[in-house]
Amino acid sequence: MKIFVIDNGSQWTHRIWRTLRDLDVETQIIANSTPLEKLKDVDGLVLSGGSMRVGKGESDACEVGGNNIVYAKEFGKPVLGICAGFQIIAQAYGGTVKPAKTPEFGAVELEIDFADDLFASLSKRFTVWASHNDEVASAPHFITLAHSKDCAIHAFKHNSLPIYGTLFHPEVQHTQNGEAILENFVRVCKR
Amino acid sequence: MFVPSNFVSQAITSLRELKGDAVIAVSGGIDSTVAAALAYKAFGTRLHPVFVDTGFLRKGETEQVERVFSRLGIEIKIVDASAQFFTALEGVTDPEIKRKTIGESFIRVFEREAKTFDAGYLIQGTIAPDWIESGAGIRDTIKSHHNVGGLPEKFGLKLVEPLRDLYKDEVRAVAKVLGIEQEGAWKQPFPGPGLAIRVIDEVTREKVEICREANAIVCEEIYSAFEKGEIPLPWQYFAALLSSKSTGVQGDVRAYGYTVAIRAVEASDGMTASYSQIPHAVLARISRRITNSMKDKVNRVVYDVTDKPPATIEWE
Repeated sequence: MKIFVIDNGSQWTHRIWRTLRDLDVETQIIANSTPLEKLKDVDGLVLSGGSMRVGKGESDACEVGGNNIVYAKEFGKPVLGICAGFQIIAQAYGGTVKPAKTPEFGAVELEIDFADDLFASLSKRFTVWASHNDEVASAPHFITLAHSKDCAIHAFKHNSLPIYGTLFHPEVQHTQNGEAILENFVRVCKR
Repeated sequence: MFVPSNFVSQAITSLRELKGDAVIAVSGGIDSTVAAALAYKAFGTRLHPVFVDTGFLRKGETEQVERVFSRLGIEIKIVDASAQFFTALEGVTDPEIKRKTIGESFIRVFEREAKTFDAGYLIQGTIAPDWIESGAGIRDTIKSHHNVGGLPEKFGLKLVEPLRDLYKDEVRAVAKVLGIEQEGAWKQPFPGPGLAIRVIDEVTREKVEICREANAIVCEEIYSAFEKGEIPLPWQYFAALLSSKSTGVQGDVRAYGYTVAIRAVEASDGMTASYSQIPHAVLARISRRITNSMKDKVNRVVYDVTDKPPATIEWE
């Protein structure tokens, strides 16, 4: 099982790598400018977060946003976007990303709307850690999997493709069930 | 899965490929001590550990470092460079310039020392959060760690960082395999720039001394509360000296002194942290002891109740 981490400059990119490695997945951190052709033998991708303001169009510049949209649309195998990675996926499929009415930093109470795939066999409500200025305002073709008091779309999945995203950070130590969520994504990649 | 014993043997094997002598920067903290123990197994007496007294150390720190290394049977050289560090920081208030100035001062000391040992390598106990938070390329700089973002562009040594991909909890697991144990309140992270980044604003000898004393009280009281079973031991706990002064009253006399902030957090890798829910009784003991025993300098104590994010663990 080979899942690569696309580095969008997050403080926690290396934590995604560490968690996947701990799950016995073969993993590597790679630049977001890596051409898609080089990822032919990879089974899944995780698009990390980053400081780019997707809600202000900063990820449109290719030196910042890299090939994220190409990964989201053309990889053809499971993709999980986290934070900025999640926002870019939403945009790539025609959704809108805007500055959040209430940005969330640190602990957030997450409520699961649909315990499918990513949240399989987890509790309905638990604490996760977020750190975001922007949010996904709409995401056509996607099913909302979780929300918080201040943010309606905290996690989603595509209605027919194996494309997933979370605004919160499953890779950090303070997020409850974080490793289980990533393990669930690994399971999706094994299907 | 991360297997500490495999890591140890792989690290020693790759360090053995390096020829000649090496200087290693040690602080007595877990990262550089683990790096030194690994390097010693590869280099033997070709390894020259150097401990720099920056002037920004905690109470009793030099003695503790001597104990750590004498237990390991490794000889270290202690260099007092405090005059150089204080001079370099004169007039500096910006935390990033502070950190970079300290990083460069460290390197100049190691360059000098490397010359005396005829060493070509500088080994450092750099761990993942150091280079992550220092930023580069599209990764934002949160703070320049002295051993990464604080390095000058040019220096005459080859850098070796055997712990680069590890976090604190993994370093501790490796330490266990190597038989390294930290004693009491020393078992907590302490940044390389030391008290200089816990004295907010300009660093002076007087302010560092106040911070050092307040920090010692915080550490003693929290560790003793832990020993009495009142609290679990936080991951990290310390005092920061704020730059603003405030009004007080002591024995019917007006006072105007500094404010000390107590910080204590729960974490495992330091990349996220939540503030420790220390009971008020313990906080009150710390506050009273600081304001009574340091009455000429400090007349106010506050507790920091912010998580990371949005704050960082240290104040600068």
